Amino acid sequence: MPGILTSVTIKNGSPSMSSREVLGMARRIADQTGDQVAAALVGADVSSLTPELAASGADVVYLSESEFLTEFQAKVYLKVFQDIGEVAQPHTILFPADAIGMDLAPRLAYRLGAGLVTDCVDFAIRDGRCIFIKPVYGGKALAHLRVTTPVALATVRPRTQEPFPADTRRIPERVIVAPQIESIPREATVTDRIEEEGEEVNLEDAKVVISGGRGMGSSEAFRQLKKLAKILGGAVGASRTAVDAGWMPPSHQVGQTGKIVAPDVYFAVGISGSSQHIAGMGGSKIIVAINRDPEAPILRIANLGVIEDYRNVLPALIDEFSKILKN
Amino acid sequence: MHIVVCIKQILDPEIPPRNFQVDQAAKKVIPGDAALVINPFDANAIEIALQLKDRQKYCTVTALTLGGEPCGKALRHALAMGCDEAIWLKDAFFEGLDSAATAKVIARGIQKVGQIDLVLCGRQAGDWDMGQIGSLIAEELSLTCISVVSQVDVENDRLRLQREVEKGVEIVATDMPALATITSSSANQPRYATTKGIVLASRRKIPVWSAQDLGIAENLARLVVVENLTVPNYERQIQIIDGEDGPVKGTRLAQVLAAMKVLK
Ligand SMILES: Cc1cc2nc3c(=O)[nH]c(=O)nc-3n(C[C@H](O)[C@H](O)[C@H](O)COP(=O)(O)OP(=O)(O)OC[C@H]3O[C@@H](n4cnc5c(N)ncnc54)[C@H](O)[C@@H]3O)c2cc1C
Repeated sequence: MPGILTSVTIKNGSPSMSSREVLGMARRIADQTGDQVAAALVGADVSSLTPELAASGADVVYLSESEFLTEFQAKVYLKVFQDIGEVAQPHTILFPADAIGMDLAPRLAYRLGAGLVTDCVDFAIRDGRCIFIKPVYGGKALAHLRVTTPVALATVRPRTQEPFPADTRRIPERVIVAPQIESIPREATVTDRIEEEGEEVNLEDAKVVISGGRGMGSSEAFRQLKKLAKILGGAVGASRTAVDAGWMPPSHQVGQTGKIVAPDVYFAVGISGSSQHIAGMGGSKIIVAINRDPEAPILRIANLGVIEDYRNVLPALIDEFSKILKN
Repeated sequence: MHIVVCIKQILDPEIPPRNFQVDQAAKKVIPGDAALVINPFDANAIEIALQLKDRQKYCTVTALTLGGEPCGKALRHALAMGCDEAIWLKDAFFEGLDSAATAKVIARGIQKVGQIDLVLCGRQAGDWDMGQIGSLIAEELSLTCISVVSQVDVENDRLRLQREVEKGVEIVATDMPALATITSSSANQPRYATTKGIVLASRRKIPVWSAQDLGIAENLARLVVVENLTVPNYERQIQIIDGEDGPVKGTRLAQVLAAMKVLK
């Protein structure tokens, strides 16, 4: 019996980091319940990824391949997942809480008549079933939630789970589920894509992230953060308030509704440290806060703090780093 | 065109963690003296609807909420911002519903409003952060659902939506009726209510629809139940970098970080 089915998001031709984290979580649930772990591999020309999913923890891979699945279309993908669900009969379906997971999970839950818990960060097992633990009130509280329907769905917040240690000797069972989707009309068409100019370092993978908030005061001020990022080989992030003000593009937002990062060092400059922001960076190894308010909540979770107007601090900080790193 | 914006009143999500408490036995948050506000993403959705109204010749915006007594305030605020109508789904029967049941009731409410072209919801509510109501309403009403949208336009009778993606934006075209879940952006910051708007809104009679009005007689099942509610502690021990002025502190911070050998 498979038991737990996980959804795989493909990014640059491989299972995304978040998908491997979800497989890791599925494995840990299975360790306690004795279930099998299955992965749904959906897309065009993706069968070659089967071994990678096995190495990441899947006992069974349900493969649904078609050129019609090249681009993500919710209605089409929903049908494929319903079909896989019928073959696999899982009692738990896990999605990464990425754009696709957040889009698909509620609609699939509806179609299966199942309950869904979104944005889980942890789980507990009770009577052989999963209790999902999710932050609520922007992370100010944690709720333990039980799904009462026979099938339970959950989305899992990125960077909260360890991926399964890769084991390339595992050979999965492979089940092909032929997609029957040709007749499904497209809901919507993407007429244009506007990509931001390429950043040197990907925010989510960066070892150093330098973020600015409302305290920065202007988009010009972010130039200093970019300068610091360049010296340290890092990436620039922003609080939602800074994004809403138009100082940084939305794709740089760190937090519950932005990117989840866990760098070696995170600089929070002019950021108060709302729980929704902490949700996206609380897992950073070292947190450095520069804030002029000694009462700012960010100082409660930071390792290093400078209580000062950032304008007085940044130039010297940048200077000193350039000196140190030159030597 | 007729737009329905679904709004929810929540505890102000900006209250600092130290002012936040839960009643663990009741598995509920203690509201204390925190203000009630319209969920911020719902306010962005109202703004998008009003911007469409500003540009379209014939456009009606209806704000709709489901909830108990204090929610009237949210609806009046929506009217004061410029919404044309407000609908209040209120019934003791609707207390403590989960996402699935809430979406079911709201979908019935939207059906009762009549012919609609667009439904807008916030991408998630800042209390339980479930982020599923929009998609579930779309499923209930068999509407196309576009999520994480920051701008909406109408072009040749079709919707043209700007959707935030991982690295930039996508322009998506779709037919009406449809539903979009709204995220915040610099272009949809909620407008202030005018004094005149506030006065007019305070005089309006807001229709209240009960379970019976919506033809809901069956008990609504709970697909998800709360087992426990706790307050986590993320606090770390902080080292404050001191110095006579900002530049000294900046220099010291660089040196401390370098000494920690955490930067490669
Ligand atoms: C459902 C929901 C989801 C959300 N998701 C996110 C999210 O993903 N990410 C996110 O960031 N927020 C999110 N928010 C918003 C969040 O609640 C806060 O509003 C936001 O994080 C505040 O941003 P900020 O810290 O930049 O601004 P503020 O809270 O205004 O803080 C500014 C800080 O700058 C300091 N400051 C001012 N001037 C200076 C100066 N010259 N030098 C040094 N310091 C200075 C101030 O002391 C203050 O601490 C969300 C909210 C909701 C309701």
